This record gives sequence, C-alpha cells and structure tokens, in this order.
Amino acid sequence: MNRRTFLKVSVVTGAAIGAGQMIGQPNALSALPVQKKSPAAEEKWVATSCLNCPACCAIRVKTANERAIRITGNPLSLTSEGKICPRAHIGLQVLYDPGRIYSPLKRTNREKGKGSDPKWTPLSWDQALGEMNQRLKSLRESDQPHKLLLFSGLNTASSRDMIDRFAGAFGTPNLVSENGLDAETEKSGNWMADGHYGDTAYDLDHTNYILAFGADLLESSRPLSRFLRKWGKLRREKPNRTKVVVINPRYSLTAAKSDEWVPIHPGTDAALAMAIAHVILSENLHDAAYVNSRTAGFDAYKRLVLGQYNPEAVSKVTGIPPESIKRIAREYAQTKPAIALRGKESIAWPGGSYASYAIFCLNALVGSIDVPGGIVYQEKPEFKDMPRWVEDAVAGRGKNQTPLDLHGTNQFPLAEVVTNRIPESLLEGVPYPTEMAIGFNSNFNMSAPGAERWDRALKKLPYYVHISPFISEMALNADLVLPSTTYLEEWGYDHSPAGAGFAEVKLKQPVVASQGGARSITDIIFDLSKRLQGTVAQSFLNIGDHSEGFVKFRTETLMPWKEWVGKGVWRGKAYEYKKEKRIFNTPSKKFEFYSGNLKAILTKKGNRAKGDLDFLPHYQGVKFLGEKEKYPFILLPYKPLMAMENGSQNYPWAQEIFLPMQGIGWDTLVEMNSETAGNLKLRDGSAVWVESPFQKIKARLKCSEGIHPQVVAIACGQGHYAYGQWQKGLGVNPNDVIGVDYDDLSGQAVFFNTRVKVNKG
Amino acid sequence: MVIDLDKCTGCQACTTACKAENNVPHGSPEEQQLRREIHWNKVIAVTNGKYPRVRTELIPMPCMHCDHTPCVTVCPAKATYRRDDGIIVQDFRRCIGCKYCIVACPYGARSFNVKEQEEKKYHRHDPPPDRKAWGPWPFPSRTHGVVEKCTFCFHRIDQGVKEGKQIGKDVVPACVEDCPANARTFGDLDDAKSDVSRLLSSRGWIRLREELATKPKVYYLPG
Amino acid sequence: MNVTFSKMESKSRGFFILTATLGALSLAGFISFMISYIQGHQVLGGGNVIPWGMPIVLAIYLIGLSAGLHILAFFIHILGRKEWIPIIRMAVFMAVILIFGAMVSIALDLGRPEKFWRLFMFFYLNNMTSMFAINAIFYSCYLAAASIYLMTLFAGNERLSKIMGMVAFCWAMLTHGGTGLIFGLIDAREPWFSALKPFEFIMAALTSSLALLVVVMFVTFHFTRRQSRKELVISLGKLVTGFLLGLILLIAINELSHVYKPGREASLFMLAGPFSWQFWGFQIFLGEVIPLFILFHPRLGKTMKGVVTASALVVIGVFFERYYLVIAGLAYPQSYFPGKIEGIYGAVGSFPLTATEAVMSVGIFAFVGFLFILGLKHLELLPVDEGGE
Repeated sequence: MNRRTFLKVSVVTGAAIGAGQMIGQPNALSALPVQKKSPAAEEKWVATSCLNCPACCAIRVKTANERAIRITGNPLSLTSEGKICPRAHIGLQVLYDPGRIYSPLKRTNREKGKGSDPKWTPLSWDQALGEMNQRLKSLRESDQPHKLLLFSGLNTASSRDMIDRFAGAFGTPNLVSENGLDAETEKSGNWMADGHYGDTAYDLDHTNYILAFGADLLESSRPLSRFLRKWGKLRREKPNRTKVVVINPRYSLTAAKSDEWVPIHPGTDAALAMAIAHVILSENLHDAAYVNSRTAGFDAYKRLVLGQYNPEAVSKVTGIPPESIKRIAREYAQTKPAIALRGKESIAWPGGSYASYAIFCLNALVGSIDVPGGIVYQEKPEFKDMPRWVEDAVAGRGKNQTPLDLHGTNQFPLAEVVTNRIPESLLEGVPYPTEMAIGFNSNFNMSAPGAERWDRALKKLPYYVHISPFISEMALNADLVLPSTTYLEEWGYDHSPAGAGFAEVKLKQPVVASQGGARSITDIIFDLSKRLQGTVAQSFLNIGDHSEGFVKFRTETLMPWKEWVGKGVWRGKAYEYKKEKRIFNTPSKKFEFYSGNLKAILTKKGNRAKGDLDFLPHYQGVKFLGEKEKYPFILLPYKPLMAMENGSQNYPWAQEIFLPMQGIGWDTLVEMNSETAGNLKLRDGSAVWVESPFQKIKARLKCSEGIHPQVVAIACGQGHYAYGQWQKGLGVNPNDVIGVDYDDLSGQAVFFNTRVKVNKG
Repeated sequence: MVIDLDKCTGCQACTTACKAENNVPHGSPEEQQLRREIHWNKVIAVTNGKYPRVRTELIPMPCMHCDHTPCVTVCPAKATYRRDDGIIVQDFRRCIGCKYCIVACPYGARSFNVKEQEEKKYHRHDPPPDRKAWGPWPFPSRTHGVVEKCTFCFHRIDQGVKEGKQIGKDVVPACVEDCPANARTFGDLDDAKSDVSRLLSSRGWIRLREELATKPKVYYLPG
Repeated sequence: MNVTFSKMESKSRGFFILTATLGALSLAGFISFMISYIQGHQVLGGGNVIPWGMPIVLAIYLIGLSAGLHILAFFIHILGRKEWIPIIRMAVFMAVILIFGAMVSIALDLGRPEKFWRLFMFFYLNNMTSMFAINAIFYSCYLAAASIYLMTLFAGNERLSKIMGMVAFCWAMLTHGGTGLIFGLIDAREPWFSALKPFEFIMAALTSSLALLVVVMFVTFHFTRRQSRKELVISLGKLVTGFLLGLILLIAINELSHVYKPGREASLFMLAGPFSWQFWGFQIFLGEVIPLFILFHPRLGKTMKGVVTASALVVIGVFFERYYLVIAGLAYPQSYFPGKIEGIYGAVGSFPLTATEAVMSVGIFAFVGFLFILGLKHLELLPVDEGGE
C-alpha cells in the first residue's frame, strides 16, 4: 500500500465512522456508568393534613431517614379528590424553616415596638409556663378572668377546640380569631337568608354556571385545592363545560382563566346583583316553582328589585353596560344549575352583609339551593362530645362581661368576632383594660387594616405571650414567646371548612419528631390547665391528657385508631340534597328574601332598624375613606395564591414565583391601569409612593391592562420585618395604608374602601 | 405530555412539586435579578389586548423534549442526547458547561449552575452529595458549571418500567401527578390508545414556537 | 526580494516595563479565572438569559483577528505581491498566538474547564453536528497549519511556504466561517439566524486583522526603531478600506433582510432597541463611518498617522461588533407565545460587567500581547531595516 492509498483509506474510514456517529445510531458511548447506590434510605409515607391555609387538606408526607422530603395529596380525601395546592408542597420549607425558634424566649428589652430589638433570652418550658401560670392565676384570683385576651390565628380544629375550652373554663369571653379579617359578611348574608351563620358550600361537581362576585376562586378560596381540582373537572371532564363569569375590579388570575371578566366599580357588587335579579324577574326567568314553595318575603323583594334596580340605573353606578348586565342575567338564569358566589372583594365593605345577602339571593331565584350543582349545606363531623367544662363562679362572671371586641353588642349586633376592633379597645381600655393576652399563631398586625394601631395596642399590653414556630411581627411585641410545633410535627384533627357538603375529618400526626424543643398548642394548654388547678384543671381531665390522647378521644367515634392512623381521612355519609323542610333556621322555615332573623335581632338591639329596607338585600352606596379630589384611586389589596397564611413568608419556593400574573417574585407591585399611569406620567417599573389619608408605602409600579382605571391593586403577603432571610425587608404590606372601617352588622373589617394617591417615588 | 390550558388553573403546583421531587435549588432576590434562578418547570403569563378587553394566558413550560432537538444538535460533548423512549437526557458527567444548549433552546428550559452545590440552597441534602458517585441520576452531583433541565422524571419512569407499571397511568412525572386540576397528561404518543393520544384527537392542539419545527413533545390544548 | 529578519533587541527599559506589565495583567487574568473556576460563574455577569459573556466575545474576536491575517499569504504566494513579505512572519506569528489566545479564552468560558479535552475527541466522544465540535477541528487544524506555515517561513523554503500558506489560508477561512456558523445556524435566536453569518464574520476578520496589523506594525516598528514603510501602510490601509466596505455591505444586507420579512421584531430590537446605541455609536460610527471618512479623505487617507488611526478605530469597532452580536443578541427576550410575556420571562436580558470578568478579559489580551513580545524577542520575526523611506 502506498502513501496515497493509506491516506485515502484512512480518510474514508474516518469519514465513515464519523458519518455513522452523526446518523444517530445507538451509541455505545452513551451507556451510562453504573449508579452507585446510596445506603438504603428508610422511606415511609405518613398520612396527615396541611395547615398553610384554613382548608387543611389531607396530605401524605414521605420521609427518608427521618427527614420529610415530599408532600403529595391523600387520595382518600374527596374534598379535593386527593389533590393539593402548591402551598402544601411548601410545607417542607415551613417545617425546616431556618428562622424557626426552638426554645421559649423571654424579652429583656422593655422597649417594645417596630425596630427595637427585644433582646430575647432563652428559658426553660417550666420557667416560661410557670411565669404564665402566675399571671393567669392572679387574674382568676382577683376575679378578673375576662381581662385575659386570646388571639387565635391559623390553627387546627383540635387546637381551636382546646383554646375554646380554655377560654370557657378560665372565664374569659375574649377569644378573637382571624375570622373578622376574612369574610364574616359571607356568613351574615347567608344567615339573613337561611339562618346559617357560616361559610357557604357549593356542589361544584355538577354546576354549569358560576357567577363569581369578587371571588378569587383559584387564588384564595376555601378550600382552595377543591376549587383547583373541580376547575379541571368543570371545564373539561363533564359533558357541559361550565361557564365562569368573574366580576372584579381587577383582572385576577381567576378572571384570566374564566370566560368573562366584568370590571366593576369597586364596592358596587350589591347593585349589580340586584340588577341581575331585576332582569331575571322582569323577564320571568326565575324558578317560579322553587320561589313560590320554598321562599318567603318574595313580594317585598320583588317590589324593591323591580322598583329601584333597573339595569340602566345600575349601569351608571357599576360602570357595566346595561346590555352586559342583561346578557349575563339571562345566561345565569337559563343555564341550570347555576351558582352565584361571593368573595371577600365584593363583601368586605360597609354594608357588605347586605351585598352578601343580595348575591346569595340570586341562588334562590334560580332554585339553586340544596340541589346538585347549587348551594349545599356543610355537614358537621360527629366527634365524640367533650364533657362540658367545669365553670366556677369566677369564670361565670368573667364570661358575662362585655367582650372586648364588642361582638353581639348594639354596635355589631350579628357579629361573632370583630377582630379589628381590638386595638381601639386595648388603647382606650374600653370596656375595661386588658391585663394579659396570649396569641396562638396570630399575626394581626400584618393581616389587619391599620396595622400601626395594632403595634401601639400591643405595646400597651402589660403582658403578652405569643405562641408560634417563629418570631412573627406580632411576636416582636411579646414578653414571652413559646415555640409551637409546625403542623407536620403534631397531633390534631381538622375538618374541611364549608366546601364539599359532606363532612370530612383529617387526622394530623407527627411526620417527624418535633424539632428542637417545640411543643404543640394542645400540649401547652394541657400543661397550663394542670398548673392552674381548680376548675380549669378539672375541665381538662378525662379528655386524653396530652395531644395524642386528646385526638384519640375526640375521634373515637369515627373509626378504629389503627385504621385512622393509616388512612388519615374520615368521610361522612354521602350528601343528601333537597332537605327542604329541615335546612332553614328562619322564622318561616323557608329561604327568606325578607330576613325575619335580622328583623328579630335589629328590633331588639337598640332599635337601629328604620324600615323594611333594613331587612331586605340592597345596595347601600359606598362610603370611602379619603376624598376623591385628593386621593383619586381606590386601593384593592388581594391575596395571591403564594401568600402563605401562617404569618410567615420565609419560604423561597413561594417567594420566587410569588406573582405569576406579573411574572415576578420576591416583591410587591403597585398594579395600575396603563392609561391612568400614562396620564400621571408614571413609568412602568419605577418606584412610586402609594399614600392614603393614614400612611404611605413605596413600591414598584406595574402598568397593567387588567385593572379598572380608578383602582390600584397591591398583593398582600410581603412587607415582613420581623425575621427571615427570605422575607425580611422584601416588598410592602398594603394593610399598612388601609383605614379602619366595618360592616356594622357582622363586624367584618373593611379592606377595600380606602382611597389613595400615587406619586413618583 | 399534553397540557390542557382550559383546565390549568395557573396555580404553579407543577413548578413547586417539581422542585420538591427533583431537589431543584431555590433562588433568591439577587438570583432572580441576575436571571440565575433554576426552574425546571416555569409558568409564564402572556398578555394580549387592552383594558377592558384583555386576556392573559398562563402557560406552564417544562422542557419540551423535542423530537428535533436544537439542544442535542449543538452539544459538542454528547452530554445531552435523546433516549430511545424520546426523553432528552442531560448527563452531568459529560457536560463541559459551554452553554451552547442554553443558547440554542428556544424555550428557555435549561438552567446553568453558577454556584457550587454546597453554596446553593436545596431543601434537602441529596444522597449522595459527594462527587464519588457520578452519573446522571438520581440527584447526581450537581457541580457548578453544568446545565440542568427537566427530565420528565425519568427516574420514576425507569423505576416504573422495572416494576412493570403502566407509564402514563400508574407512573407519571411529579408535575403531572401533583397538578390539582389534572390539566397535565403524560404518556406514549405512539400508542393510539393512550390518554395523550385521545386528548390530542379531542380538540385542536398547539405547540410552542411551532415555526421553528423543533417538534416539541409537549402539546397544549388551548382554553 | 530578499529580506532578512532578525530578533528584536530587548535591552531597553521600555521593553522590561512592557513585558512586566503584560505579565502582571496576564497573571491577574489567570487569578480571576481561578476565582471563577473555584467559585463558579456566579462571579461573572451571565445568567440563563445571557449565558455567554466576555470570554466568548473575546474568543470570536481573537479568532477573527487571527484568521484574516492569512489573506496576506494569499496575496504574497498566489498574487505574487512581494511588498508584504517583510511583515509576513510577524503577521503569521500574530495569527498563531491570537488563535491560541482564542482557544484559551474558550476554555476559560467553559463551566467546567478541566473537561476541555472533550472538545478534541473528534468523532469519538464528540457530537459532530455541533458547531462547537466542528470548530474544534477547524481551530486545531488551523493552529497546526499556521504554526507549520510559520516554521516553513523560518526555514525559508519558498515552495513549502506557498503550500502551507494556502493551507493555512483555507483553514483560516473555514475557521472563522465556522465561528460565524456557531451563531448563524441557531434558529431560536432571531437576531443571529442567517446564512450570511460566516461571510460577515470572514469579512469582519479580514477587516480587523489587517487593521490590527497596521497598528501593531506601526507601534512595533516605532518602538524597535525601525522605519515603517509608508507605501506598506497605505496599501494595507487600502485593503482595510476595501474589506470594510465589504463588511458594511454584508451587515446591511443581513439587517435589511431581517427587517424586510414580517417577523422583524428581533431586528428592530437590534437596530433600534435599548442597546442599539452600542451598535450605532461604536460599531457603525466609531468603527466604520469615521475610519472610512479618514481613509477616503484626500489628505488624511494618505498619511501614515491617518491610516493608523483609522485602523485603530476599526479594531475597536469590530470588537464592539462581536460584543453587540453576542450580548445584545442574547438579550432579546425569546417569544415563547404571541403577546407580551410578563415579568422576568419577558424582560430584556442584562449583562453586568463584574470585576472578575473585566480582569479576566484584560488578562486574555495581555496574555496575547505578552506572547507577542516574547516572540519578537526570541524569534526572528521583524524585518531588518534597509533604511527605507
């Protein structure tokens, strides 16, 4: 072979090999090296339930070598068909939050307030509880148990039962939950119509039309996972695709996913609901059979609707063209079954109870009460009853005092809780000064409007104990902080809030041993009760003695313990529809368009009723805080899905995808209509001040097409300043600038009637 | 994979479940500024129109596992390649970190590791975190300087195949399993009886950047 | 014509200072590379939107500077133009160290530089559809060919020099055309995708290398007390003018074709977007308009200083051309779905220049300069002054 041939052969061979490689034949070189096995990790799944929002969905948690590594749903739970929302996955970061506290802490710097360092020193549980016990005992001994104030934030049902029991046995009427910041007006609206002061449940499996007033179904509804699962089902897993219409001043994520977005002028939802009723009634599209047989007060209602709420007039108030109102009304009435539901944004207003009532009545108009695809009535689980707590005379007297939040008084006649009233009561010492407060997982100085008053009020408290897994903003004002366990380390039980209709109870059991020195709230209360002795201690006997025992005791009636621990979910019987004669707790035993319940209460309490209109659903007109000329825009705070509700946002998985509609994380944006921003010469992405008559905050502007021109929307969930590498100093809290107002009937804090101005920052 | 945009609720459970399943490190505000956050699945929001006729589409985007991959074509070290079952695999051992694949990917599916594994924030320590066990999966040593992306959870699929389970029904990637709306479906596109084939014939589908002819294997059913 | 070559005298203080400075800067560059090697690319400016940074920009720039020099081989050996023989050795040496510097720069850009050898596993471990892999072949063969060519020049073997010169020239064109294809074949990147890219790159290479040669020649001869031949410089300047016009033509055609088609958003971003001031200010105005003005000027274009100034501006302008192509080209947000993509996924990319990256870039230049000075000292590269004009 000569040189030329050699070269030729080499080249051709090389080319052939190369070509062979390039044509993509199975390539021996891509065989992977054998993966070295790690020592077998001991893996197991534990059934428990989540607590990153009040829905408490059933989850299963996988642990490997004693570390929780994965969370997924529990298929036995039918509330959400075994599905969970993204917050449930973030539970892993809640459990292993590097900012958690593991030992009781005592404040040594007497100076309280934002910005001052409490200078915490650790102390033992015995010392901490001993100190608390002394104070509690002295309250009881001085016949002042009512001067104990209990705050309850996001807690399990079992914790809430324990806190309730403690309040009862101790003798304080002052147990303030976060409900007053949520949607009490939904409950009052329901109650006025059907006598149920509670959240609404919807039969989502069968509904064909959803008319959502200010409801962020896919972001902040309860239980969220149920809405997420049913959304998929309603859209594409049944023969008729459900139509969804969202009425909201801002183009929420829910609106983006729905079929129609109706940008309404804020606070006018009641008028729109009445106008829709007008169209339905004037065109005879209502379910006459249902209305005639199962409702009362229809004539008064009809007169009011037809007389005052014609679409043309309402169009001027709401900003929605009359044609749209008519079209939507007709669609709603003619698509069966249909539901009209409300969310915070339409009913957390002054007069919100009536707005809630007005919207709720739309369901009755089309016969969607206790039928498949309509409103259903949440069944309660049958726990084993606890014996009534032992109440001595001291406790009895204490319980009879006027509650600090003035719920049930003439000021808030229907209210069960008026959370946001507390700062005034504490600051003014009305109706009596408070000596001690205990906060269970509460963070009201972030989640309530007018946060600054909360800080002043907490500062004034002589002694405040805060119980949560981390130092939240409210804990910064505490004298003593007790580290509680996260929900993945404790025993408890939970039931779904109104959602599915049928009852469902979820077990909570420790997935990992409780980290560090944390203890569960149930165990803390058992311990406190023992120390208090007397009737308080007696009240906590024979119900289990510790958290696991307590859960065992209460859930004995559900199923055998071993099965219960394995399954984690108990389901009540299938839902029974059309319980017509049995569901209405009203004077007429029917659905009432003219509220007999309300009339009875209002005529009793201070005679505030002026006429029939007070007992009918109606639009009250909107009263804003701040004059329009000085503060041209209306602030709309909203809760995105990724805002965790346990008082902390120190979770990077939630933070990095915080606002999906705006495509950013780690921050808050001031969302304003593009044209409005253009008129103000404000540039997208620039820093702006949002100022109300009360406070001002600074954040980045986002020019958006999806918001009413006079509305400025800001997401809640950021603005933390207490602790946390992943949250401290990020974003702003819109609640800081919101003023204080109430729906008088239910005590619901109003979030949406503060006017603001926006300037270059 | 088929993603039904009508069922999708934009909740981002897919993004979060993927992070938990695959121990993808989380970012920080600085990293987001510098665009260094690693997301194997991301959800983008696309807006069209002007007030009040505005429409925002929320689109989850995992790696498209294209059939005509731009990334496999440009990888010089054969670190990314197409498996027989169609999954595009990333081999950290071979990756030299040239980032050509990131440049070539039309979907932004790939992320570069700028920090050493110890410096990044994971939610758990992977067994093993040491460099002795090289290999693509599971949870390999993610040194700095290599590229990572969505893998269609092939560790689950391989395990499922070994156990004789049905891919697409019993075994699916984490994002598919944890989507609360059941908007995501996974399966064999070549099997006419699979769920994905059924869905693709149920109504018109689109794929992203179809004009680039990458033949992505993630199909979208529009809302 | 017979030219004798000699080594540079290297006793002056200026020589030592220059060598020491370049050495120090190279060392600093190396140290910053070690920092980025140990800490990861978090110390550099890139991210997932703009993954390529200064090292890649420098790499393609240096390859361009290197490849274009071999046009002289074409002129000398094929066209028989003897007047460039005095500088051919220096030019080829520059080409060798520039391509070497470019390959070092590429290795520095890798996420895992210790695996650089994988780029040389042609056909065995490499995926030959990848332009990086193909370019690895091109660069290696080009480096070998240019080195051999240089050796034949040292040996004085005219026949071999002619053959190797043409071989080196071919490899040079393939090399830089291949570099262009790295960008031109990526469909996903709208601003880059074009069949003209290899030719644009080659034209930019020819322009910039000859311009660099003018500047280096002028400076080197000045500092080694040789007389620069004015006709040499002016004729090189004429070559630069010609190639520069060609470059403008190709850029214009490329941009216009991208703007002509309806999918023109990417091009409008490049031509009129937030970074376009770099394009118009540096690349076009500084790098093309002013040099052309000087070179066509009746008086300035005929002076050595004028040509040298114009050449210097061209060298800078072509650097910005590479920079703009890579950085701004990658900054254009990819359009996953029609409409406005919200937030970070639709945002234009940003490329902060970190100190480490800047020092590393300066270090690469300094390294090439250092090698050049060493070469001048130890190799017979410079023509002996024959008392010119």
